Amino acid sequence: MRARLLLLPAVVPVVVVLGATLALGGAQSLGLMPVVGEPALNLRAYRAVVASGDLWPAITVSVTVAGAATALALAVGLATALAVRASRVGGRILGALAASTIPIPHVVGAAAIGLLLADTGWLPRLLGLDEGAWPALVAGPWWGAVVLEYAWKESAFVALVVLASLAADTGELMDTAAVLGAGRWARARHILLPLALPGLVTAGAISFIYAVGSFEVPWLLGRSSPEPLSVLAYRLFTSTDLTVRPQALAVAVVTVALSAAIGLAALGLLRRRPVLA
Amino acid sequence: MPIITPRRTRGAVVLGAAALLASACSAAVGATSEPTGPSTGAAASWDQIMRAAQGQTVSLWMWGGDPQGNAYVDDVLAPAAKTLGVTLTRVPITDTKDAINRILAEKQAGRSDGAVDLVWVNGDNFRTGQQAGIWQCGWADGLPSAALTAPGDPLLTSDFGTPVDGCESPWHKAQFTFVYDSARVPDPPHSMNGLLEWIQAHPGRFTYPAPPDFTGSVFVREALYATAGGYAQVPAQFSQQAYDDATPPLWDALNAIRPSLWRGGDTYPKDSTQLDELFASGAVDFTMNYGPATLTKLVGDGTFPATTKVLTLDEGTVGNASFLAIPVTSGNSAGAQVVADLALSPAQQVAKADPSVWGQFTALDVSRLPATEAAAFAALPASPVVPPYDVLSRHANPELAAAWVPALDDGWRRNVQAAG
Repeated sequence: MRARLLLLPAVVPVVVVLGATLALGGAQSLGLMPVVGEPALNLRAYRAVVASGDLWPAITVSVTVAGAATALALAVGLATALAVRASRVGGRILGALAASTIPIPHVVGAAAIGLLLADTGWLPRLLGLDEGAWPALVAGPWWGAVVLEYAWKESAFVALVVLASLAADTGELMDTAAVLGAGRWARARHILLPLALPGLVTAGAISFIYAVGSFEVPWLLGRSSPEPLSVLAYRLFTSTDLTVRPQALAVAVVTVALSAAIGLAALGLLRRRPVLA
Repeated sequence: MPIITPRRTRGAVVLGAAALLASACSAAVGATSEPTGPSTGAAASWDQIMRAAQGQTVSLWMWGGDPQGNAYVDDVLAPAAKTLGVTLTRVPITDTKDAINRILAEKQAGRSDGAVDLVWVNGDNFRTGQQAGIWQCGWADGLPSAALTAPGDPLLTSDFGTPVDGCESPWHKAQFTFVYDSARVPDPPHSMNGLLEWIQAHPGRFTYPAPPDFTGSVFVREALYATAGGYAQVPAQFSQQAYDDATPPLWDALNAIRPSLWRGGDTYPKDSTQLDELFASGAVDFTMNYGPATLTKLVGDGTFPATTKVLTLDEGTVGNASFLAIPVTSGNSAGAQVVADLALSPAQQVAKADPSVWGQFTALDVSRLPATEAAAFAALPASPVVPPYDVLSRHANPELAAAWVPALDDGWRRNVQAAG
């Protein structure tokens, strides 16, 4: 009970801010707070977004890009974390490098990736490739630059979370396993991976949700169509036609629902797993 | 560190989402709108306004993507305002809609000391603001400098078909221009239809920003005039009938050039900045903008090749004027009026028209100026790239009513972009 009370200072602001904004956003999307016209409770904004044919492609793009980026980030992050543990000096350097990308804002990362990977960017010029030979990563059909930006930023985050969850003294378990004849690979598979899994699930869910909600990266590096959820919501929100604003909020609510579903799924996954040791 | 980081990031995600929602929501709190009639500003004499303005700080919200425009406001306009007793601060924004959204939110919150005192605005943003009643009206005609504009100048009395009604004061005039590299395009087309043919003959060397970007939107209107057989064939006022009549050939023409665009029309630059980058790096041979003021500098500093030229079309291009508007939420209306008047004064208009300063075309009627001030305009150095306004604005086409803009933007998305 006491421990729960101590959490209040952190929980109350989140609940108040998030609750109020969600309520207001929901009310706007349901037509209760139009910028122009009379308020009326209806699902018109949701129907309009679905009827426009923009919503399903937006969900598909958002989920696919976020999924691909998260999978890549988890693989690279886990490999980085294991490499950091494997060697003392090299690990320190690698750890510091990974940590140093954390404070870089995504918008700066996106701009840098753009300069590096665009058709006329730094890398194709350095390699002496002309336009035809360089894959269309920025604004290309496969959202390559967007996925790479998220994966690059989030892999450092994944590595740090995994390192933290492995920080508990695994030495004893490893030694015991080694004495019992477990090889290097068996030890990684049966000890390190299960220990890292809760961290991987948490970090994966967070980076997936971030990628679904983020606007600046797909805006700077993505293609003009189909639009991901965040770009769609922003375009509708900034439309000079004020009557479409509820639709922008409807897209925002759908984005929140999608993120919440992922978050709950991750929580469920964490609960189901018996914790080792 | 490893323990703090996930929490910090999660907090940032939550905070970011919350901030987005909060800004989204606050914009519509207490949503009612009543049209704003002419305010009482007209009754006050200019002396009273000057006196009330003393010591006020005016925040000018303007698109910040043009370094020359920023430098002009910071280094020329603001010091001049200071001598009149008004402190002018510039608030850079990525899109004028940001300012509109802020004013809407503040109006709905009942603020009378809002963050925005003056907005650089025109077209559909002005119209949106009029719809929501966020502009102070009836003050602009009373500015002393307003007497130096041409009476009944259609560009200044009607802003994309929306009557100005003294709700905004002119700042400068602009002409839509195509820009090309004469080294790569030795024999450029001289009409919009000629350009559409050129695009098909030179695959991959042209593109335009995707509407609803401002510049991409103008390109679509230019193409509409061309496919309709001239601007006179398109009714300036929007109606569904006019839209249904005029747009099928437009979508056909834009779909016909699509495979010949940069990246095969598979994607489009998001705004004129991205298009300019493509042009600067040689990926395309044309760029375009509404107001070629920045060209002189871009060529001068080597961003654009020295062989960059402005393409004048035989049938002309659309022209408009842009304005300064004062929101009803401003607590510094007097100071904002003083700045708007100063910005329209001959001295400031001449300074701003210098291509090395900003190169924006004056909104004044030079023939109405005293001889010395008219001479200052005549003595302006010519830009090596941009032709003078009277050359550019020859056969200038009027803009369509603002209601056309969202309809065409939406039509483009459904008929051209989605078809790709």
